[in-house]
Amino acid sequence: MAELLAVDDLAVTYRLGDTLVHAVDGVDLVLPEGAMLGLVGESGCGKTTLARALMGVLPGNATITRGRVLLAGTDLVSLSAGEHRARLWRDLSFVPQTAMNALDPVYRLRDQMREVLCRRGGLSRAAADRRSAELFTTVGLDPRRLMDYPHQFSGGMRQRAAIAMALALRPKLVIADEPVTALDVIVQRQVLDTFRGLGLELGLSAIIVTHDISVVAYLCSMIAVMYAGRIVEFGPIERVMGEPAHPYTMGLMNASPDLARAGAELTPIEGSPPSLVHPPMGCRFAERCPFAERACVQAMPATIEVAPGHSAACIRSGEAGELRRRAREVATWRQ
Amino acid sequence: MAAVKAIVEAFGLAKHFAASRSLRQALRGERHVVRAVDGIDLRLERGESVGLVGESGSGKTTVGRLLLKLTAPSSGRLAFEGEDLGGMDKARTLRFRQQAQLVFQNPYDALNPRFSVRRALTEPLTNTRVARAEHETRIGEALRLVQLHDAQRYLDSLPHQLSGGQLQRVVLARALVLKPSFLVADEPVSMLDVSVRAGILNLLRDLKERLGLTAFYISHDLTLVRYVCERTLVMYLGKLVEDGPTDAVVNQPAHPYTQALIKAVPRPRVDQSRQQLPISGAIGDAANPLSGCRLRDRCPYAFARCTEEEPQLLEVAPGHRAACHLHQQPNA
Amino acid sequence: MEAAEQLAASPSLPGAAGAPLGSKLSVLVAQLRDPYAFAGVVIYIAFVLVAIFADALAPYNPNDILFTADGQLAASLPPSAEHLLGTTQLGRDVFSQLVLGARPSLFVGMTAAVAVATIGTAAGLLSGYLGGFVDKLLMRLADILLGLPFLPFVIVVVALIGASLQHVVLAIVLLLWPNPARVIRSQVLTLTQRQFVEAARVTGASEWRIMLVHVAPNILPLSFLYGSIAVGWAILAQASVSFLGFGDSDVVSWGTMLQDAYASQALDRGQYSWFVPPGLCIVLVVLAGFFIGRGYEELLFPKLRDS
Repeated sequence: MAELLAVDDLAVTYRLGDTLVHAVDGVDLVLPEGAMLGLVGESGCGKTTLARALMGVLPGNATITRGRVLLAGTDLVSLSAGEHRARLWRDLSFVPQTAMNALDPVYRLRDQMREVLCRRGGLSRAAADRRSAELFTTVGLDPRRLMDYPHQFSGGMRQRAAIAMALALRPKLVIADEPVTALDVIVQRQVLDTFRGLGLELGLSAIIVTHDISVVAYLCSMIAVMYAGRIVEFGPIERVMGEPAHPYTMGLMNASPDLARAGAELTPIEGSPPSLVHPPMGCRFAERCPFAERACVQAMPATIEVAPGHSAACIRSGEAGELRRRAREVATWRQ
Repeated sequence: MAAVKAIVEAFGLAKHFAASRSLRQALRGERHVVRAVDGIDLRLERGESVGLVGESGSGKTTVGRLLLKLTAPSSGRLAFEGEDLGGMDKARTLRFRQQAQLVFQNPYDALNPRFSVRRALTEPLTNTRVARAEHETRIGEALRLVQLHDAQRYLDSLPHQLSGGQLQRVVLARALVLKPSFLVADEPVSMLDVSVRAGILNLLRDLKERLGLTAFYISHDLTLVRYVCERTLVMYLGKLVEDGPTDAVVNQPAHPYTQALIKAVPRPRVDQSRQQLPISGAIGDAANPLSGCRLRDRCPYAFARCTEEEPQLLEVAPGHRAACHLHQQPNA
Repeated sequence: MEAAEQLAASPSLPGAAGAPLGSKLSVLVAQLRDPYAFAGVVIYIAFVLVAIFADALAPYNPNDILFTADGQLAASLPPSAEHLLGTTQLGRDVFSQLVLGARPSLFVGMTAAVAVATIGTAAGLLSGYLGGFVDKLLMRLADILLGLPFLPFVIVVVALIGASLQHVVLAIVLLLWPNPARVIRSQVLTLTQRQFVEAARVTGASEWRIMLVHVAPNILPLSFLYGSIAVGWAILAQASVSFLGFGDSDVVSWGTMLQDAYASQALDRGQYSWFVPPGLCIVLVVLAGFFIGRGYEELLFPKLRDS
């Protein structure tokens, strides 16, 4: 399968006054065409920064300090801000966390769609309206509602309108930042099914950024687990979730509740992520990891391929089977 | 007369809010009333952990506020330990505040950002006129209960210096410092990271055992409720649609809405059901709920009776009730 | 909150997105790094010092009519060593007038500012917190007062009840308090939505306690800000009133200086050293108020820090 997106050693730093925060510190990713990648991580891990870096919409005080982002062969990092922005919506588009960020409350949906389709897509008004109706239908919205204002839509509908806008110019890749977090569970399922439909019918490639591993399990074919600015595990979803090779992923699985499994004990991961201002030299998960050894804190672990297409940044990933067995015991995680 | 007195009882509890109207509507004399809670009966036995599940707009948060006397009901009766909540005078209300506490959703917002942890924990004691001499012991105990050992380290910290999990423990400690008998938790872990939630949930389970608290969990998250509650109530547009032991409600949901809720929850497994949900559309309008059953425009099983008659909460199995005409067929 | 990613998450409360204003003074002082804040504070302090030590700084009594060595009226003299800014048409030393004129100007400015800030804060607090009838009453009153033209109103009040400095202050305060009141009211409304306010209620705090202990400390920075802006406006108002001849003519102020200069056609005669200095002083003090507002803006609205 052709490679759509390749991220190579990307690093992003924020400047806050006199302090530098290394929010993304050497990320490698590969996304094949037609796949949906779930980028999972907890608050502060850098996933939103990574998503914004890919989009080219980092805030003023953030800079990409190294690395490349290859989208269908072009290195987005090497482009100027203007060139990168020009690709926005055409090659690459974005569904933000709250649709209210994407939708202007004072304009009708039809006009907002026209803005994208005519201004950036060069379509005539009539053609734009036809395409808007098509898009609305694709995401499960009634095309007659194009004449409404955003506030007349419910939360789930607004989110779907934002997805429609993101798809307008047939981008190669859609990045969705926490697309369902703010939604109720039934509406969440409807939006997830919309995404799933787009993946199955249009072969949409997407990166779904979320803290909820269950959402990724439902929707995505690939997963990247992020921790403290780095990707700790990456691969096909069946492999990473079925046979995790990194202790953090194992911990996350233990901490994620499953409605269908009654009474199974949930185990927290004690402690908190390290500071990104002065990140530790060695493995960033070491201080919370029940399997950490001396070597772990001395040097940053290399990313090891544990199976074709499945890699983990852990020096003990060779013993993954044994570690998984121990990880299933509650006592392992009690520090 | 039950041997064990129910700690909280509600009959026909309702809370209506006057919604804003446009000028045209005002001129026409249209009144817009949002019926956030529209007549529910509730009974919490001492020591029970009960969960109230519903989506946003279901009215569940309003129920929590009603139970804690943070807002007055528009109609219906609410009793705490047999006493009518509305009829309490100032002194009795203050004592009620000591007995009934709330754990908040947002730990980053539930604490005054200028108050040290010590100050935040002392505040409730001062408000309820607890003797100064007792403060130190109570605070120490509360911190121990929430497993923030090494109290000295935390007492002088300010909220912004603590992590989400630690903050939520402080919020819990603040609730426990008054030694309440009734605890309401409104989305207690929704703003915490997944790896931290488990810790708080385990703590809540543990505290229930240790302190014999009666706990009322309000959440949109069925998995949370399943983890900590013996009994589950499901709410839709201001009404209770299902009520029963948690296992029964989750494994044999009797109401179509509950069935949809359960099917809709994604699981942390690749092999999960991706079937179409039985319920379509979005939540109804609380200002104009439908006649008969409020869910009928979204329910695939709706039939004639659903439009004419509002279903009552009736038993479908021992201790398990649902408000759905499907279960009240004469030949069922 | 842990990371940079969540930094702007908290609403516009001082310190909510970082270290809280635990020690207000140290934070205020730290903010002097901002060039605007620094400039504003320096100007204020300079003028206050001048006003305090005016007697020592002024070489002459500002009302004394002076004569030259050879017995002539020392009228309209250009700036020299004896008269740093020259003399007025009636032989009074301009520099002494300027220095002593600082007093009534600053008196009006400071008292008006304190009054406006206090009344505005109290009104905003009560209005926002109590809501209902009190809120409607206060805000409708504020609307009416804000609709009145500022200077004409001050003139009318002064004409009716007498042209003393206190009356000028009164008139100014009456019209300026709605400004901080409205802003503080909306800040209070936001604050009462915060969960820690509800938490206080749940743990037994009385409404008064909540208002004074939880809400008030978070809005004091706003009061301070409006107070500092009010200084400038008040001085400007007093100067305008004096200039138009409605002020207290016994008291020498920057405004009366301008009035005198105008009346004796100093502009036509090109006697810049008479009317430029008082005008400049007024401008400087008003600017200082705005500078302080601009400099401390970031403290009050942390979101601005990120852009």
